[in-house]
Parts: sequence; C-alpha cells; structure tokens
Amino acid sequence: MAQNLPIPVVFVPGRSFFHRLHPLTKLVWAVVAIVMAFATRNPLVLLGMTVLGLAFIAVAGVVPAYGRVMLILFPISLSLIVFQAIAPAFPQPWIPISRLGPFTIYREGIYSGLSLLMRTYAGSTFAVLLVLTTHPSDLFAALQKLGVPHELNFMVSASLQMVPIVQREFQIVLSAQRSRGMRARGFSSVLPSMVPVFAGTIERVQQLAMSLESRAFGSKGVKTSLRESKATATDYVFALLGVVLAGAGTYLVVRYRDLLDWSKVEFLPPWLSVTIVVVAALTFVTFTIALWRQAQQE
Amino acid sequence: MTEPIISIQNLSYQYALTEHPALNQVSLDIGAGEYVAVMGPCGAGKTSLSLSMNGIIPHMMAGGIEGKVFVAGRDTAETQVRELARVVGMVFDNPEFQLSQVTVREEIALGLENIGVPRDEMLRRIGEVLEIVGLSGFEERSPLNLSGGQQQRLAIAAALAMYPQVLVLDEPTSNLDPIGKEEVFAVAARLNRERGMTIVIVEHEVEVLATYADRILVMSEGRVVLNGPPRAVLSQVEALGRYHTRPPQVTALAYALEPNEHRLADYPVTLEQALAAIPS
Amino acid sequence: MAEFPIEADRLTHVYPGGVQALKTTSLQVQVGEVLGVVGQNGSGKTTLVKHFNGLLRPSSGRLLVMGHDSAGQPVYELARHVGYVFQNPNHQLFSTSVRAELQFGPNNLGLPPAEVQTRVEEAVAFFDLAALLEQHPYRLAFPLRKLVAMASVYAMGPQVFVLDEPTTGQDHEGFNLVRRLVQRLREQQKTVIIVSHDMALLAEVADRLVAMWAAEVIAVGTPREIFADDDVMRRTKLSPPQITQFSRRRWPGQPDHLALTVAEAVSWLNPGH
Repeated sequence: MAQNLPIPVVFVPGRSFFHRLHPLTKLVWAVVAIVMAFATRNPLVLLGMTVLGLAFIAVAGVVPAYGRVMLILFPISLSLIVFQAIAPAFPQPWIPISRLGPFTIYREGIYSGLSLLMRTYAGSTFAVLLVLTTHPSDLFAALQKLGVPHELNFMVSASLQMVPIVQREFQIVLSAQRSRGMRARGFSSVLPSMVPVFAGTIERVQQLAMSLESRAFGSKGVKTSLRESKATATDYVFALLGVVLAGAGTYLVVRYRDLLDWSKVEFLPPWLSVTIVVVAALTFVTFTIALWRQAQQE
Repeated sequence: MTEPIISIQNLSYQYALTEHPALNQVSLDIGAGEYVAVMGPCGAGKTSLSLSMNGIIPHMMAGGIEGKVFVAGRDTAETQVRELARVVGMVFDNPEFQLSQVTVREEIALGLENIGVPRDEMLRRIGEVLEIVGLSGFEERSPLNLSGGQQQRLAIAAALAMYPQVLVLDEPTSNLDPIGKEEVFAVAARLNRERGMTIVIVEHEVEVLATYADRILVMSEGRVVLNGPPRAVLSQVEALGRYHTRPPQVTALAYALEPNEHRLADYPVTLEQALAAIPS
Repeated sequence: MAEFPIEADRLTHVYPGGVQALKTTSLQVQVGEVLGVVGQNGSGKTTLVKHFNGLLRPSSGRLLVMGHDSAGQPVYELARHVGYVFQNPNHQLFSTSVRAELQFGPNNLGLPPAEVQTRVEEAVAFFDLAALLEQHPYRLAFPLRKLVAMASVYAMGPQVFVLDEPTTGQDHEGFNLVRRLVQRLREQQKTVIIVSHDMALLAEVADRLVAMWAAEVIAVGTPREIFADDDVMRRTKLSPPQITQFSRRRWPGQPDHLALTVAEAVSWLNPGH
C-alpha cells in the first residue's frame, strides 16, 4: 500500500537565515512586495525588487526549488512578452519599433510586456520564498496565533495532502480503465476516469472524518500547538525593515510616477526589443510543441 | 464481572433509507482488559457494532437507534463523540484514509491539540506511543511514504496518544500484506497483555484470533449469534457454516474426523492444540 | 496452441527515479494454468504482472503475449487477450448500472452490438448476475462489487486473466466465490494469474507459484514445493496455510504428506472416509 508520494508542499528544509526567520515576518515581506509591485510599472524598479528577491532565495539556498516553481510561470511569461509586444494592453497611440511579417512590434508593447513580466516575478518571488523556507505547520501555527481558526489550518494542510493522492488515484483509474479497452482520449473517457476518482475521494474523506472525530476534532476550548515559533528581535526588526522599505519604495514610485513612466521612452534599443520578442516567440512555440509531444506519448 | 467497561443493552440500529436494521437487539458486556474478536460475513453488522462503541453511531450517522450503549459509565447517546474519544480509540480498515498530516509527529499531535494537552506532555506522549507501536525514530517521516503496516501502526499510535481505555479496530488488517498483518496483531496483543488495554477487533483471520482472543463474537444479520471463549465458539463448526463464516483449518480437520456436534470436549482451535489432540 | 499465453524473456523494469523494481526475469506461463504470484508488498510481484497487459513496459528484455512481442501494442489492444482485474473494484466501476458496466469493455473493443450483447449475457450467466443487472454498482456490497468488476473484464473475452488480490477485503463467502470462479475459468481453459497474499486460496487453486522477493523471482514451483522450501518461506516472510503447517509437523520428513487443503489432511488421517 505504500506509495512513494513526494512531500506535497514545496517546503525545502534548511537552516538558512530565512528558514529561521519567523513565518509572519516572511509573510509581511510577501505582502508588502506584492503591494509595491502593483504600485509601479517601471521595469527597472521591478527588476531591482526581483534581484533583491533572488538574492534572498540564494541566501536561503533554495535556488533549484525556486527554479522548479517558477518554471510553471515560464510559458506564461513568454506568451505575455510576445502578445503584449504586438498588441499592447495600453492606451493608443502606439509607437511602432519594427515589423515582423504581418506583425508590428510596438514600444508600448515591449514596455507593457516586460513590466507585466517583472511585476509577476517581483511580486511572487517573496511569496515563493515564504513557501519554500517555511514548514506549512509553522505557518499555520503562526496564523493561529493571529486568530485564524484551527480548523481552517487543518483544511488547507489536509487539502494539500490530497493533491498528490488524487493525482495518484487518477493514474490508477486510468490504468484500470485502459485495461478494459478504454482509449484515453475524447469525451467517452471522461466519466470512466473521473467517477471512480470522485467516489474514492468521497469514501476516503468519510473515513478521515470518522478518524478525526474519534480523535476529538472540533472540540471547543483551548487548543494547544505542537509547533512553536518564538518571535525574536531579529524577526521584528526584519519585518519592520520590509515594511519601511516597501513603504518608502511605494511612496517614491507613486511620487515620481511620471518620471518612471517609460512607456514613451526608448529604454531599450530597437534591435534588442525585437530580439527579445523573437526569442520569446520561438521559445514559447518550442515549449508548446514539447509539451504536446509528451502528452502524445502517454 | 466487575462493572463492564462497555455495556450494550438491547441495541438496535437502522441506517436511514435502508430496509433492514443493521443491528438487531444486541446485548453484550465487555470487561476491562478483555480481548474480544468480532467475526461474521460482510453486512452482518460488525462495523455498525464498532461504530456504536464510540458514538459515531448515533451522532455521525443518519438513522434510528433503540437501546443503550454505555462506555466507561457514559451513555453514548448523551455524550459527544469528541468526549468519548478520550475513552475509546478507533482504528479503521484503510490505513491511508486515516492520515492527513505532513509528518508522523503531527499526525499523533492532532488529537492531542484538539483536547488541549500542553506541548511538553504532547511530545512525551508522542515518544511513548511510537515506542509502543514500534515506530520510534519515525517522527519526521511522511505518513504517505510508510508501508501499509507502518501506516496502520501510526493510526493506532494516534488513537493511543489520547490515552483511551478501549481500542476498537475495525478490520485493521484487511488491506495489509502478511508482514503488516503480523505487525498489527502483535501490537494489539502487546497492548492487551502488557497494558491491560481492552481490545475489540473485527477481523476475518480466524486462525490468528483463535490464539489471541479471550472471547469471540459471531454476528449474523445484525445479531450476535455466538459469544464465548474461542474453543467454545469455534467448535460449533456447523453453526459457523450456517452463519457464513468458518473455523480455523485445524478445527475443520478435527470436525471432519469426528463430526459429532454433541461432543463434550471442544475441538482444537490452534495449531498446538491440534497437534496434541489429533493422533497419527 | 504452441505458444505460451504470457512469456517474459529476460524482463527488467526500472522506475523513472532509478529504482530497480524488477530484476532480470524469465517466465513462461502455461496455457490453462492457474499461476500464483506471491511475495510481500514491494517484492516486485505487481510490477511483474503489470507487464502482462502493457501497463508497464520492459526497461530491457521482452514480454510476449500470445507469442507476439507486446512492444508496440497499446494497452487497449492487449486488453483483448489479457484481462486485468484491479484489486479495488472502485477503481473500475463508474456506470449507473451493472449492465452498462458489463458493456463497457466489449464496446471499447469495437465489437458489433449483437456480439456485445452475447458477451454480456455470457458474463451474466457465468457470474450469476441476472438479479443485479439494473442495480447501481456503488449500491452493492463490496464482495458483489468485486464480482461485477471481474465480470466486466470477463465480458471482454480474454484468454488470460490477471487477478490482483481477489480475496483481500473479502469474507468467507467472497473467498468461496473467488475459488469457484477460478476453478470454472480453468474448466473453460482460461489461463489465470493470481497475485495474492492468500496462501489458503493459492494452495487450493494454483498449479504453480512464483515466489518473489526484493524485485526478483526466487522460486517457481508447485504449491507443495514452495511451501516445503523453508529458505523461500523465510526469505519471503510468508507462511503456508495452517493446514499445511499442521501436516508438516504431523508428518515430518514426508514431503508428499504436505496438505494443501483440509480435505487432503482428512483423507490421510482417515482413509476410510
């Protein structure tokens, strides 16, 4: 019955400064980073934030895991650049840079695409740092101290556990139905693949519920916690640092909004902009074909 | 008998939207420290009987109940499941379905957090129950990466951490390989013999139950139809057949050699007894 | 038929992570035999039999089904010849009626409606499911669901059956049912491969046992031969049925007096019976 399921949450154990930092401090940084990322579209500012985030990731020693998580964003980022370049989400008029066949690349598009891309990375890097360096139970225990209900913590962590399990069950059901001659394509394969997974999940959850009740789940009164995160001075100071930096940063980008609006500025030489778009487009197409080929092999 | 730890009085239960009662006028006493095995075919009411011992029936199920169940003096109809959880621990048939936490330690802590056990005490109990079930050192492991037998022992440990007086196990080995089965039976036996834990175990492995059980109950169609020490119950070979269950193989052998149902002596029910009783 | 229904030719399997799940294995399944595959979880027994209908592909070596290399034949094609009944019927049942469940396999094989009908009727007759045809599979008790799952594979008309733990989770009635079914499949000259922990079942129905440990086959022989082999029993940590253990100790040193069933032991103790 043992399956070698990977630990479902992307937490990477370690002893870095960031691992030892209080979960709430890291949460503060994640939140203020997102706020600041949305306060500006200036690619350089956002790049700066991303670089800082990457530095933190490096110090935490979780670069490979970060790469794996960000890989999910990769195709989206590429398509963002490409589509924005030829059809900017920006008020007209647009300044054309170059023509590529039927498509025109606009300066606003480059700006828009790159800034959206940078905003994504700037905003998410600190959140990913939080997830990679914090054991989920520590995070939940910390949230509990803030008053988040115990049951909510449990629901989220139990759901996370369920994801790889449901994936595994789905694979088993597919094998079982293929063994009955089902070809795994088309509408006729939907019900045979999904119904058993749902039924199995329901059965599992029922037994889990009984098991939990039998261990006094839902008791009223004081709950204790196995996990203990003591907040030290470092944690407070670092959290404060994050708030101050982001606060100042946000103030500055708003104050100097016009100066930082590079939508009309040629901040990249045209040949570079075109190269970026072409490379992004090619990579995107290659990526999509590779994925499609892999799906065909199954 | 001194005050029984579980007293079931004329218990009947019918699940909503079903045609027949799952439990039909069951009356039964279980003494503290007894190892009671429950046998019978699917649908006989064994699971329903187990669930009525910790309040899941009637509190978590929809249906009609009659009669009373008392556990350590508490009326299960009047006491919440989460209260009864401190007296009766339950282990179910699918090891993986009972586990939801990221590490072994947290799985055991789950119940203790619910009842507000202080952190130091929690850690102490976790160490203690892991030792009892033979999983010391597994604290940081992921439950999903354990073998079936290990997972089930973890489920037992999680129930034990609540310091119950009774442990009810509903077909705990049905999804396990032979090594896993042995592990679980060994833990149950150790709990009973070394710690006086009252064990109620629903199982089909009659050869094993004959060795460990103080008492065997056979259920059929919602009733307890046989109730007594292993030799007395399992010697009733014809009755067992009628109730769609079976005696140990050596007992079937002894019966086939001497099929007299009115014998005064019981048939052998274990390998050792059979070797002694059946001459060459 | 000259060919073996299933033949493994120096088969190995390595999982994507690098774990060797099956070391070099060669095995010939005989036509019409009931072959038991035994071993603890993780011994490689499931890995081995999953090659038989193409769910797993060899990392090296070949797997032949009906004399043809299974490579290049997708699972849904191999399903014509090899019916795999999964351990948990819930993984296979999805329809609103038992009838629909039985039709699923034959339909997938692309058989004409009349043929599908015939196959379904044969399955109903063999498994005695007439009374349950319109029932919702999930409303049936577990032993009956296992039966329906088996019947739905039978309806595809394969020559070879792979049963994964058919008696696990079953009660005594379920055990008897499986035992009778296997015997009747043998009467129909089907080849049955049973992966099981249930030594009592295999003692009664198996012609040969394949004992596995740590990703390899460590012994192949009749149940009597395997149960008598202390070394194999010790390494696989399996125990023979109680009656076999009894006869071992009652008649020490007499390998032909190793009882596989209660009836056998009775016949030796009471020849007049």
